[in-house]
Amino acid sequence: MKRIMILTLALALLLTCAATAEGYTFRMGIDAEYPPYSYMGDDGSYTGYDVEMCQKVCEILGWNMEIVPINWDTKLIQLDANEIDCIWSGLTIDVLDPEAYTISMAYSDNSQMILTKKGSGIETLDDVVGKDVGVQLGTSADILLSDGGDAADLGASFGDLIRYENYNVCFTELMGGAIDAVAIDIGVAAGKIAEYGDEYYMLEEPFAAEKYGICFRKADTEICAQVEQAFMQLVEDGTYVALAEKYGLDTSALCLTPAD
Amino acid sequence: MTLTSMILKMSEGLGRTCAIFFLTLLFSLPLGLVVAALRRSRFAAVRMLTRMYISLLRGTPLMLQLLVVAYGPFYLFGMSVSRNKLVPTIIAFALNYAAYFAEIYRSGIESIPQGQYEAASVLGYSRGQTFFRIVLPQVVKRILPSITNEVITLVKDTSLAFTLAYMEMFSIGKQIANSQSSFMPFIIAGVFYYVMNLVVAFVMSRFESAMAYYR
Repeated sequence: MKRIMILTLALALLLTCAATAEGYTFRMGIDAEYPPYSYMGDDGSYTGYDVEMCQKVCEILGWNMEIVPINWDTKLIQLDANEIDCIWSGLTIDVLDPEAYTISMAYSDNSQMILTKKGSGIETLDDVVGKDVGVQLGTSADILLSDGGDAADLGASFGDLIRYENYNVCFTELMGGAIDAVAIDIGVAAGKIAEYGDEYYMLEEPFAAEKYGICFRKADTEICAQVEQAFMQLVEDGTYVALAEKYGLDTSALCLTPAD
Repeated sequence: MTLTSMILKMSEGLGRTCAIFFLTLLFSLPLGLVVAALRRSRFAAVRMLTRMYISLLRGTPLMLQLLVVAYGPFYLFGMSVSRNKLVPTIIAFALNYAAYFAEIYRSGIESIPQGQYEAASVLGYSRGQTFFRIVLPQVVKRILPSITNEVITLVKDTSLAFTLAYMEMFSIGKQIANSQSSFMPFIIAGVFYYVMNLVVAFVMSRFESAMAYYR
C-alpha cells in the first residue's frame, strides 16, 4: 500500500515537473479576431501584442508554444476540457471567478469604451440612452452591460443591446447604419481609430475600467507563477513597453513597472 | 440561474426558430419547383443558369450565404443595413433550400416513365394537365423521404441564424452558457431540437402513409 502511494506521488511529481520543464508545449488559447492583441497577420500567421508577449515568455522558459484559436463564447469550457493551457488574448480578468480559475496578475488596464460613427451626434454616455448598441457575445463589454454586470444600468438604458458572433459584424452593422454604437475594449477601439480615424468616433469617457490578465486552470498555479516570472523579466528589459508601441497600444494603460 | 429559468429563457427564442423553419419551407418548397422546371427548360441558356445557381448554392456554406445576403448590398452598393435580421435570414435560407429541393423534385420528375406522357397525350391531356394531374401526385409520393431528410436538416440549420445575431433559441442558449459558464444550455438545446425533429418525423410519416394509395 505504502509503495503504491509513494509510486503515485513520484509519478505525480514527475508529471508536474515534466509539465513545466524545458520542451513543454504551452498551448495558448486566443481569439483570432481580436486585433491588436491576437489576430491573423498579413503573412497568414497569428500575431499581436499578446501573441508576441507569449512567444517571448516561452523563449525565456524554454517552452514550445502552440497557438490555438478558440471560440470566445466557449473559452472557459475549452480551458476546462484541456484543449488549451491558458486564455491569453485581451482577457478581462475582473469578470472571472477566482475560485474556479488561476488568474495571473493584471498586465494592462482596459477601459470599456463606446465607439460610434463619426458625426452621429453621440458624444457623451448620456447620448447613448435609447440607442442600439452592439457587442461581441461573451466579451467583457457584454458581461458588464448585461443583467448582473457592473454597468447593467447603462446597458438597460440602451434601446437594445445586440450580441454578435464577433466584432467584425458589429463594425459592419455600425457602418451600415443598423446599430448606433459599439461597446468595446479601449485597445481595440483605439486600433480602429488609428486605422480609420475619419470614420469612427470614440467617446472620451469610459463606462467601466477593467484589467487584462491571463487565465489558467485552477490546478496550474505553478505554470501561472512561471509565466508571471518570465513576464516580469520582459517588463524589466523593456520588451513589455516596446511591443505595446509596436502594436499601437496606449502605453499609459500598461500597469506593470519593473519595481513590481 | 436555475434550470427552469434557463429553459424559459431559451423557449423565448423558440418562436424565432419556428419562424425561420416555417417561412423557409413556405418559400423554398414552391421556389424549388420553379427551379426544377427551369432546370428542365427547353432553352439551353436557362438550363445553364439554373445549373449554376444550384451548383453555387449547394457548393458554398449557408453561413457564408447569410453574410452575403445581409452585408453584400452594403459592401457592394453602400446600401444601409437593416436592424431587421429575419428578412435576410429567410432570403438566404429559402434560396439555399430551394436549390436542394429543386434537385429532389427533379429526381422525382425524371423517375416517371416516358410512357405515361405518351399515354396522357393520346388521351388528349395538355402538357400542364399531364404535369399537375398525372406526374406531380406520383412525384410527391416518391420524394417524400428525401424531403423529410431536408426538413430535419432545416430544423438544425436554424441555429446558423446566430451569424446575423438573430436571437433564435440556440443563440440565447449560447449567451446563457457563456454568462453562467455552464454546459446545460447546450443539452437543453439538444433536447429542443430532438423533440422538434420527432414531431417533424411523425408528421412526415403520417403524410407518407396518407399518400400510400395504390398499394
